[in-house]
Amino acid sequence: MPEDDIILKLDSIVKIFPGVKALDGVHLEIKKGEIHALCGENGAGKSTLMKIISGAHPYTSGNMYFEGEKVSFHSTKEARDKGISMIYQEFNLIPYLSVAENIFLEALPKKKNGLFDWKTLNQKAKELLDRLKLNVDPQLPVNKLSVAQAQMVEIAKCLSRNAKVIIMDEPTAALTDEEIDILFSIIRSLSQEGISIIYISHRLDEIFKLADRVTVFRDGKNVATKSIGDIGYQELVSMMVGKDISDLYPHREYSGQETVLEAKNITGRGVKDVSFELKKGEILGIAGLMGSGNIELSKILYGAIPMEKGEIKIGNAPADCGTPRKALRAGIGFVSDDRKNEGLILIRSVKENISLSSLKKICSHSFVNHKAEEKMVTKNIRSLNIKVSSYNQLGQNLSGGNQQKVVFAKILETVPSICIMDEPTRGVDVGAKSEIYQIMNRMTEEGKSIILVSSDLPELIGMSDRILIMREGKIVMSLNRNESNQELILAYAAGGVGE
Amino acid sequence: MNAKEKAFRVLTVHRTSIILALILIVAAFLSPAFLSASNMLNVIRQVSITAIIGAGMTFVILTGGIDLSVGSVVGLAGAFSAGVLQTTDSVPLAVGIGLLTGLICGFINGFFIAKCGIPAFIATLAMMTLLRGCILVYTNGTPISVQSDIYKAVGKGSLAGIPVPIIILLFVYLAAYILLTHTAYGRTVYAIGGNREAARLSGISVVKNEWIVYIIIALLSSLAGIILTARLGTAAATAGEGYEMDAIASVIIGGTSLAGGQGFILPTVIGALILGVLDNILTLMNVNPFATNIVKGVVILIAVLADKKFKDLSAKVNQ
Amino acid sequence: MKRSKKLLALVLSAAMIAATAAGCSTGAATSTAESKAAESAAPAQSSNKQLVIGLSMNTQTNPFFVSVKEGAQKGAEELGAKLVVTDAQNDASTQMKDVENLITQKPDLIIIDPADSDAIVSAIQEANDAKIPVITIDRAAKGGEVVSHMGFNAIKAGGLEGQFIADTLKGKGNVVEIQGIMGTNVAQDRSKGFNDVIAKYPDIKKVATQSADFDRAKAMKVMENILQANKDIQAVYAANDEMALGCLEAIEAAGRTKDIVLVGNDCLDDTMKAIKEDKMKATINEPPYFLGKNAVQTAVKYLKGEKVEKSVILESTLVTKENVDSVKTRD
Repeated sequence: MPEDDIILKLDSIVKIFPGVKALDGVHLEIKKGEIHALCGENGAGKSTLMKIISGAHPYTSGNMYFEGEKVSFHSTKEARDKGISMIYQEFNLIPYLSVAENIFLEALPKKKNGLFDWKTLNQKAKELLDRLKLNVDPQLPVNKLSVAQAQMVEIAKCLSRNAKVIIMDEPTAALTDEEIDILFSIIRSLSQEGISIIYISHRLDEIFKLADRVTVFRDGKNVATKSIGDIGYQELVSMMVGKDISDLYPHREYSGQETVLEAKNITGRGVKDVSFELKKGEILGIAGLMGSGNIELSKILYGAIPMEKGEIKIGNAPADCGTPRKALRAGIGFVSDDRKNEGLILIRSVKENISLSSLKKICSHSFVNHKAEEKMVTKNIRSLNIKVSSYNQLGQNLSGGNQQKVVFAKILETVPSICIMDEPTRGVDVGAKSEIYQIMNRMTEEGKSIILVSSDLPELIGMSDRILIMREGKIVMSLNRNESNQELILAYAAGGVGE
Repeated sequence: MNAKEKAFRVLTVHRTSIILALILIVAAFLSPAFLSASNMLNVIRQVSITAIIGAGMTFVILTGGIDLSVGSVVGLAGAFSAGVLQTTDSVPLAVGIGLLTGLICGFINGFFIAKCGIPAFIATLAMMTLLRGCILVYTNGTPISVQSDIYKAVGKGSLAGIPVPIIILLFVYLAAYILLTHTAYGRTVYAIGGNREAARLSGISVVKNEWIVYIIIALLSSLAGIILTARLGTAAATAGEGYEMDAIASVIIGGTSLAGGQGFILPTVIGALILGVLDNILTLMNVNPFATNIVKGVVILIAVLADKKFKDLSAKVNQ
Repeated sequence: MKRSKKLLALVLSAAMIAATAAGCSTGAATSTAESKAAESAAPAQSSNKQLVIGLSMNTQTNPFFVSVKEGAQKGAEELGAKLVVTDAQNDASTQMKDVENLITQKPDLIIIDPADSDAIVSAIQEANDAKIPVITIDRAAKGGEVVSHMGFNAIKAGGLEGQFIADTLKGKGNVVEIQGIMGTNVAQDRSKGFNDVIAKYPDIKKVATQSADFDRAKAMKVMENILQANKDIQAVYAANDEMALGCLEAIEAAGRTKDIVLVGNDCLDDTMKAIKEDKMKATINEPPYFLGKNAVQTAVKYLKGEKVEKSVILESTLVTKENVDSVKTRD
């Protein structure tokens, strides 16, 4: 491979934050015009590396070469001027300014008399947008755009600065399948123009679809770089986790007969007249597109959203689940789909989060027994394999997977007979995902029942004994384990069949 | 944890105390009278009133709220208490009525904030005005003087050489410390301020516990009102004006986050002491009264800035 | 659910009304003191119409000004005039509004106790434009047409106190000055009068000068701190009695009542009691009650067409143990 083909080269890059070695001698070569994917579990060092390349952080030691010249950026502006731009997950757009203004914000064209040159501005913006095949009016304010369109504007911003390397951090997180296809075709055409793309994603299927090469990170080091044709899905996952994960969805025996929960005519916000039964030891999947009422149903069952009509029976007796507090008392546990806003208290410690729902257990006469609490928390940290420096670590300093395990620990301590889980593995890396499935498995073995609401269809099919499909607030179909597949579920969820 | 991290941890936990210590050292150099035992007791007694309110304010701010009505509760509780004393001459009744006033005010605040969901800032601002109006109507603008020596002892007396207000202060902080760090209730206070919705979904009854917080602060404010009335020997219509700012400042200087969910109770008393020591040393040195406000403002800004630096450092260590 | 929300709305608005009402009786709106025998008591009134006099007070939370109002009300009652009182809560812009509101009620005359000598000028000019005569009391306005101003001479009062302290200490000793709100004329003038006299005595040393904003609680705190710093104090001058009484609490607690000559200003009942008990040595009698009463009497005199003095300085007298029993602060 000729040297001049390489636009960006990192050699033994080390980054040390006070007390932590985030990067430990990273080597990376990005070729001109290639789509280079980076993958690794949370905390593997991907984001730190990207911040170093884009100039947000300085590196501690090592060398970085851009177009053969040794560089060390002190600010993101310096990096951008050289030709390296980064698009963050949270966009850097000013909502009330127009598309054109946002694109050229750093270099707004002026007329000779010093006045603002609207005409040139809009014209140049239009050219860029055409290049990206984006059909929006450059004068439209950015807050009127869809997420996908806003993303295109971010890309246009990079192009306006003549970027040679564009870094994209989880660009598809908020996009629909259709929008993802459009984005991919644009990324490919950029690469044909000779622009290098560094692509970070948790979604491995995307990497196989899009990337030319992939580099795997683990524990602050690059483990391997492979051409995408030379590597398989299993191998990639094993490299990321550092061990073999043979079967993501564990095999389970289930022969539940006894009904533990009966929901009758449940009606509330976004949910119309839903009835179903849940068996002991069963994992009941609930599928549905966004807005189908599946999340709302789970929240109504837990009392987080008021129930307007209907009845809930637990173990044959009517149960009052009017508020989360009452639902908990009735033996229902709840994992929210919004971990950061509803699941965890990010600014409090792991310890306090775990014991929060079962304070009674560790208190005598309302006084906290700290020894009992520490014992309870330590037990959970060990049994759920939560990676923390100490139980006093704040929730916000944990990775997504470990945060979710803390939420599980909190709920398991309330000893629920039924657990409702909304998107339990959203934003969780593969290793932790597998562990969460093991925990769910263990729960059902203990005779607990699970209601699993998920938009991740392989997960839903892999884990559920039975799947209810919701559309427009109603259950439109119930499928057993052996009869469900992705196409069928999507067809029912979107309203293609069974009218 | 290595030695460096340990040092940082000590710095973070005790940052307010370190700032106070620095101010004390500077003050001791500036004025020979400053470090005397009698002056130290004098300063602590002076800050006891705002520090007692500050204890309640810590609870409120930890839940992410604020209470602007404390100054008016101080005034109203003092006025009712003095009024009852003047007519009945019964000290227990006077103290009881004073505390009952606080209880009722806190109950009303809690009703609007916790039950009806009105932002605490607006609800307590309205109560601040309303209660001040009540004081003026009740006192007709004229101070109500207190004659009973037993009642005055609450503010002026001392036990074993320690002034009564300081004894009350210690008792209040001991109770607040136990409540906040060793009871289930304390946990719910932190949880509500840390993430209200997560707390609710974790089975905490947010309404009830938030309500109690406003009752606690109003009760402590009324206690402060009784001490103030006893110390001055009179209940003035203007009593307690501006106390809410001193109390809030003590809490913030103590490092408690205004956003709620993070902070401790004991640094609040340190925060109050920092403010009190400043007042004291500036008077001891006979600084031009026009300039004292400038000096006070500057020192508060420096204290808060230093506090932020400590926090940033420790955040880096924990990253 | 809906009904409970309505109830809430009701309770809330009731609370709001209550709040406004509570604010009103002392606050921005008015209270009236009407004569019981209006017609018979105003014989000179040609049309037999009852006189209406507006009184814009700067504050009602300070006992001094409460007494001014009471004196004015008594005067109005005796003369059969109707008095409309407003309270600016120590705020110049509120007072502006108050005066404007009074003007719209078209009274025969407005008496103003300005919160601020400069800020009040435009309000007085508005009254002039509306052809409503104005009398100012206590603080003089820096402009506008006034029929008469009556008040006390604050410089003289401060001087009397300074002289008393100098004489009592026989021209030698350490003194402390506790100032009022230094943004106000009265605090500045009293301080000037006091310091002008003290400056004549080279052996009198001012060991501390601090402000306590005319407030009793603040004065106590300031005095406590001063006592800590200074073991040798012979006299304390507080610019009003509220502060003097706060200082007294601090001095008593330190057990230094016997060593320190404490003087105040305003002749409050509590002060006179303290003078009788020898805890304080002197105050100045500037009876606010008579200031209010005099102002109303002058107003009625002017409205009847009689000539009134452009400037009336009421007498300030030094009150000590010798004359305290004969002092008259109200009817």
